[in-house]
Amino acid sequence: MSNPQELTQEALAAIARAQTEAEVAAIEVDYLRRKNGRLSSLLSEIGKLPPEERAALGQAANEAKRAIEAALAAKRQELEEARLADIAETEAIDITFPGPPLGRGHLHVLTQVQRQIETVLESMGYQVELGPEVETEWYNFEALNIPPGHPARENWDSFYFTPDLLLRAHTSPVQIRAMQRIKEPPIYIITPGRCYRRDAPEATRLPYFSQVEGLAVDKALTVGDMKGTLLYMIQSLYGEERKVRVRPSYFPFTEPSFEFDVTCGICAGAGCKSCRHKGWLEVGGCGMVHPQVLRNGGIDPTKWNGYAWGFGIERMAMLKHDVEDIRLFYESDLRFLEQF
Amino acid sequence: MKISYEWLGDFVDLGGVSPKEAAEVLTRLGIEVESLNVIDLSQIIVGKVIEQKKHPKSRNPLWVHQVDIGGRTEQIIAGADNAVPGSLVPVALPGTTVPNGKLVKDLNIAGFSAKGMLCSAEELLLGDDHSGILILDSGKPGDSLTTVIPSQATMDVEVTSNRPDCTGHLGVARELAAGVDRPMKVDFMPAFTGKAEPAGRDLVKVTIDDSDLCSRYIGGVITGVKVGNSPDWLQRRLRACGVRPINNIVDITNYVLLEYAQPLHAFDRAKLSGGEVHVRRARAGEKLLCLDGVERELTPEMLVIADADKPVAIAGVIGGEETAVTDTTTDMLLEAATFNGPSVRQTARAFGLRTEASARFEKGLPAELALAGARRAAALIVELAGGAVHREWADVYPRPQEPVRIRLKPWLVDEVLGIHVPLEDSEAILVRLGFHVRVLGDGEWDVLPPVFRLDVSIPEDLVEEVGRVWGYDRVPPTLPGRQRDRWTPSTPSMGRRLDAARQVLAGAGFTETWNPALVSGRVLEQLRVGARALRVSNALSDDMDTLRTSLLPSLVNVVALNRDRGRSDVKVYEIATVFLARVGDKTTQQPEEPQRLGVVADAGATAESGRAAFYAMKSVLDACISELGAPPCTFQRASAELFHPGRCAAVFQDARQLGYLGEIHPSVVTGANLEGRLVAMEIDVEPVLAAASAVRARPLPRFPAIERDLAVVVEEHVAAGALLAAIKEAGRDVLENTRPFDEYRGAQVPDGSKSVAFALTFRSPERTLTDAEVDNVMVEIKLALEKKHGARFRE
Ligand SMILES: [Zn+2]
Repeated sequence: MSNPQELTQEALAAIARAQTEAEVAAIEVDYLRRKNGRLSSLLSEIGKLPPEERAALGQAANEAKRAIEAALAAKRQELEEARLADIAETEAIDITFPGPPLGRGHLHVLTQVQRQIETVLESMGYQVELGPEVETEWYNFEALNIPPGHPARENWDSFYFTPDLLLRAHTSPVQIRAMQRIKEPPIYIITPGRCYRRDAPEATRLPYFSQVEGLAVDKALTVGDMKGTLLYMIQSLYGEERKVRVRPSYFPFTEPSFEFDVTCGICAGAGCKSCRHKGWLEVGGCGMVHPQVLRNGGIDPTKWNGYAWGFGIERMAMLKHDVEDIRLFYESDLRFLEQF
Repeated sequence: MKISYEWLGDFVDLGGVSPKEAAEVLTRLGIEVESLNVIDLSQIIVGKVIEQKKHPKSRNPLWVHQVDIGGRTEQIIAGADNAVPGSLVPVALPGTTVPNGKLVKDLNIAGFSAKGMLCSAEELLLGDDHSGILILDSGKPGDSLTTVIPSQATMDVEVTSNRPDCTGHLGVARELAAGVDRPMKVDFMPAFTGKAEPAGRDLVKVTIDDSDLCSRYIGGVITGVKVGNSPDWLQRRLRACGVRPINNIVDITNYVLLEYAQPLHAFDRAKLSGGEVHVRRARAGEKLLCLDGVERELTPEMLVIADADKPVAIAGVIGGEETAVTDTTTDMLLEAATFNGPSVRQTARAFGLRTEASARFEKGLPAELALAGARRAAALIVELAGGAVHREWADVYPRPQEPVRIRLKPWLVDEVLGIHVPLEDSEAILVRLGFHVRVLGDGEWDVLPPVFRLDVSIPEDLVEEVGRVWGYDRVPPTLPGRQRDRWTPSTPSMGRRLDAARQVLAGAGFTETWNPALVSGRVLEQLRVGARALRVSNALSDDMDTLRTSLLPSLVNVVALNRDRGRSDVKVYEIATVFLARVGDKTTQQPEEPQRLGVVADAGATAESGRAAFYAMKSVLDACISELGAPPCTFQRASAELFHPGRCAAVFQDARQLGYLGEIHPSVVTGANLEGRLVAMEIDVEPVLAAASAVRARPLPRFPAIERDLAVVVEEHVAAGALLAAIKEAGRDVLENTRPFDEYRGAQVPDGSKSVAFALTFRSPERTLTDAEVDNVMVEIKLALEKKHGARFRE
């Protein structure tokens, strides 16, 4: 039978020889296991000793246990450090190999652009309003100050179902419906939605398209407020360096009426091929709401006034993403849609 | 419309205002200049031909000219022979680039040096005549050609439909004059100088039979004219505006149209039968051989000009060949009229013939313009074609133009623009544009628009006039944001709420598409989903003549298109409106427009892959519904157009049917030229959103759960859903969750039966369940399954 000191020496030598965690664990079990471990076997003899020797053996055994535990811990630390020291080589992988495809689908680019526009305008207190796509003559034309025979009707050549029912040529009817429903200003709304005009399909226009119109009706609104709103919207969507100008134009439902242009993103207004040397890109129309249109919406134009604007979502997406053919948006070729 | 810069200079002093600056001013005022084309003639000089000899050696006929170019003589060779000695010609010396882009070089042609080029009209871009050298009317050798012909600049302008007065140079010039704050050189209404006897109205008797379509007809008589070519300057201006010169009389009517925006027509008076002019609707069966050589059949809603017997012109659209002015004409009737816009448009459309005249009448011209145009034309005819203007023309004017007066609170300008415009500036702007302003005692203004402005009728119109001349660039951007005591609380839009479903679909690999709502009605009928479809009465083509009643046909086509382009495993969806005509006596009302979610995915080629895809689609639907915050859907076996008869489920939420989910019918798949199988669903999304509510957090479980599996053997016809319902009912409040996870047929299961395996989770919110308790519940569940569905159980 050996004594604790010899046992310790033996254990320390074994630990020193150990190369792997498994060997260390085996040594731990061999020497320190409670049942039948070498140290506890040694102590099982303790009852046979005279009482005065028992305490000394007990103390020696405890010292042996601590020494072995310390050596095990040190060895483990050493092995762990050795392992971590070369994982750079032992576990190296080819980091240039691509990850597997996620198989994620895509939101339509027009949904994304529409949502960006909505987000900007909602942050200014505008609410989304929706309305029917099959409209009546009154909402699509007459309420907007475009009576039958009006020369401007030419700009809104429409698809008819009956003499009174047609596919809306713009989302402006939603403005009238919203005014009628809300009744009492302030009214701050935007009206995204699909529209239809009887134009043969080509690269720059389609018989179907999507618009966002905005309408503000409140007390003492000004052309300046309209310009500010458009500028805030454009800069939020395209960057702070963009400028907006309004150019007098004509729509029957606004007075005064404007086209609004945005500085070309390529030449910053200096003029280049992409903007046909104008420096400006036409984006949409806008103006102060015609008093008759307010009246048709049930709003008293002597108490309230308003401004409105509208533009094509496709046009905004084309400007933002350099899309050159409007037909791509509705062709549903995944090779296009998956780019966004 | 093309506008000549040189022509504008007749009406307003353009010294110091370049064509580019003029274009910018016009655009700022609302006459958008789309493009500006400048022809620089300043490098071309005037030369005088001293001698012309045939080139002795050249095989092609060439002519050698000695040309005085001011102080020296150059030898210049040309192919044309019309520059006879004494002619004044445009000369481009070596080193000059002529307007058509050709660089002139110092040449030697068969022994003769050529020190420049004599230019044709075509080379100078002054016309399309390339047959000979342009011969000048005047000029001093050595001077720049611009002393004879100013540099040319033409603008392509877009005039809005409310400003027909600006479809002529005079109106554009007036805008420009107001924009640069310079006076107009001429008055709107020219003087009338007709003195010849007898009175014109006795020579041609004018009657307006249909005064609803013609508010004024002026017939001016001019006798003794000499028809011939127009002078160069007039021809050049017409050409610059894209009009081909014909003869002086016709050219003058076109010239005045381009100047005053008033269409005119010249008749050979001798060919008007009976010396009468009637403005009337056409009679059934009447025909007219028109100036373009086409004979047109007239209908009774069309307005015509007729003599005693027959139509001689289609009012406002085109004249007749037979009564046109020709070389032999000496006496003419000059027509200046005001025709009804919608009527002219209708007639022009019916013939598919949009002329310079009809385009202007369509917009509604002021009747005062007719008189101004007629007087201007008469003066030009006398000047350029001779003849005598007779006094007292026929001027039938049944409905005189009503003068408009507007009461303007001038501070409205500041209120609308949001800046301060001094009152005197506002007034000056209106005056520059031809308005009369009278300031009333209370500070308001009484404003009288000029007779040629029918578009101005309310105070806001005047604000626009002031604003556009004052300059909208001077209005600084502001944002509305005053004190408010009312507002509408913000609510998320339907589109934004549906983004939750879009995110689920994106995560599951589905790509969103936007497809046209107009589809082929014939295809909808073939698919038998056309019963409630609305058909467009004026479709562009029959592949988009009907509004879709379902999103699925479009999505099936999307799969076909993408397979054609080499894609497999196409997974697509669309969220959009479909259109369902109302039934019964409401068919003339607006249709129902439900918002739908439609989803289509490849489902492999086999029955088994189709089955797996069906259940995968259910998972997609469940996830969408759950993300939208709505209660889960239930499914009932159903049959529906477009769907496989054995693999179609009606989707319910509570008692409401949302739509269908299932495999697409094999015949629909092959009908789209596709192979294999497709799985799809189409549901109404509005009720889903209406049923949605915020998630309510449940407390986390405090006691452990006990899991059990149960393999239920039932006959084939028993649906898993029915078993599930029975288990749930029997499991009472300790069955936390259960779902079927496997279906098995084969060994150990009798023929005609199947084994459905369920995983059950038991848990009590109040205590730790014991195995014995759960065993008891399991016995009850088995009893219930046995009793209701004749179930047996596998261990
Ligand atoms: Zn540019």
